[in-house]
Amino acid sequence: MSTARWRPPPGAAYVMPLFLAMLLAFNLPILLMLGRSVSGLEFSLEHYQRLVEAPVYLRVLANTFKIAVISTLACMVLGYPLAYWMRGLRPGWQLVAVSLVVLPFWVSILVRTYAWIVVLGNDGVVNRTLMGLGLIIDPLPFLYAELGVVIGTANILLPFLVLPLFAAMLKIDDRLLDAAASLGAPPRTIFRRVFFPLTIPSFGAGAVLVFILTLGFFVTPAILGGGRVPMIANMLETLINRMPRWELAAAISTVLLVVTLLFFALYRRLSEASEGTLR
Amino acid sequence: MRRLGDLPLMIYGVLVLLFLFLPIAIVVPMSFSAASSLTFPPTEFSLRWYQSFFQDPRWMEAMRVSLLVALLSSLLALALGSVAAYGLVRGTFAGRRLIDANFMAPMIVPPVITAVALYIVFAWVGLLGTLPGLVIGHMLLGVPYVVLIMSVAIRSFDVRIEQVAFSLGASWFTMFRRVLLPNLMPSAFAAWIFAFITSFDEVIVTLFVAGAYQTVPKKMFNELVLQINPTITAIATLLIAFSVCLFVVFALLMRRAGLLGPR
Repeated sequence: MSTARWRPPPGAAYVMPLFLAMLLAFNLPILLMLGRSVSGLEFSLEHYQRLVEAPVYLRVLANTFKIAVISTLACMVLGYPLAYWMRGLRPGWQLVAVSLVVLPFWVSILVRTYAWIVVLGNDGVVNRTLMGLGLIIDPLPFLYAELGVVIGTANILLPFLVLPLFAAMLKIDDRLLDAAASLGAPPRTIFRRVFFPLTIPSFGAGAVLVFILTLGFFVTPAILGGGRVPMIANMLETLINRMPRWELAAAISTVLLVVTLLFFALYRRLSEASEGTLR
Repeated sequence: MRRLGDLPLMIYGVLVLLFLFLPIAIVVPMSFSAASSLTFPPTEFSLRWYQSFFQDPRWMEAMRVSLLVALLSSLLALALGSVAAYGLVRGTFAGRRLIDANFMAPMIVPPVITAVALYIVFAWVGLLGTLPGLVIGHMLLGVPYVVLIMSVAIRSFDVRIEQVAFSLGASWFTMFRRVLLPNLMPSAFAAWIFAFITSFDEVIVTLFVAGAYQTVPKKMFNELVLQINPTITAIATLLIAFSVCLFVVFALLMRRAGLLGPR
């Protein structure tokens, strides 16, 4: 206590404990994994070569991209009108709507995925309703097929697109829209030429975020795909826990990591653009 | 502008909200069903699935492990993350942005990659299938949320209040204990809840590194891949109730900390 006016050190000391922990438990493991992907007795790209040559791996990669694109499109189609509608609601109803979007977001992915088994199964709510209405005779195979995976994925990732998009829409100044109207633009034109362009960066950022998250998605494809809709993450689990083919798993992880980081850079750029246009 | 096809838009919006909410709306009533098969809506009600959960020693053991790992990893993440957030916000050293990005990385890197990396290293140093290994893995995933929430809280706390304490002769430790800590309490609690939930719900890293340890989500996942066991509806409902309670506490804390909505 004798040193009155003792000031905290510049801050680096506070960061050190966590930085050391991250270094040992995260950075180093990731680097070692990258190393593993090109290691053997000496540096080689043979694991990457295997990856490119074996059709099964390429098929899984292609399939993952396909599901990610479809899920992202589904989220865009579902999410934009929802966010737009929420913007127009009165504050009280807005709070209700936001809560309904946030709450599922907070519930375990495992639980929400599980629920889709109940909804989409052969004896599930959807099939029984359709059969009850006489629209179909045999149950539709949603589960253990791509459609089921896409429905589950879109359901789980939708809030990631809706919440930031809604926040961006709220920031759009109503006076801009009024100005356009006072200049004689019909509502459709105002939407197309003023409102929509202002939301493009955050809409794009949300879509990229959903896309990145689907690329590494594990739980939902494993459960709703039932092993028949292989995605990268599930293949990694097989290669590590069952095969074991660590080098190949490391090579595939590296590819996934690089792709994710590239898209993340795009995401950052779009969300910065969104901040820019709305300020 | 507001009258652009209002009714169809409203119907669409409500339908999408229903779609979002459907899983929760289905699982909760099913958990009270008396039937042995999963049919909705249930015709008779009972608590049998809750009973079969609470009377199964394997589920109870998984619950114990889940709680233990979540508690340890979230406290570790909170301690390290809060101190680091203070350094990031108040510090003036070079490379802060880089270090901040490093702390956020576990949130951006797909969890399955973290899991693969940890698996390879843990197998090497002998942490695979151990409790410390599991706690470390979960801690990593909780850190970004703690750093994020605590950084916002510290940034919104006026640095001049700290300076006043110093100028009145307080040591850094006294200032921390008497000034900073009481003010950051609500945010710290909120950050802890986030880290706790992150760990409690975690499946992927656990599947890779837990070995023989069972957590509730890992056991759920393994059972779901194999068969459809209605006991899981009861567990799912309990988890939903638990998550919603923590969400309400979290929202109240954030509001109290002035970080969410009007004070």
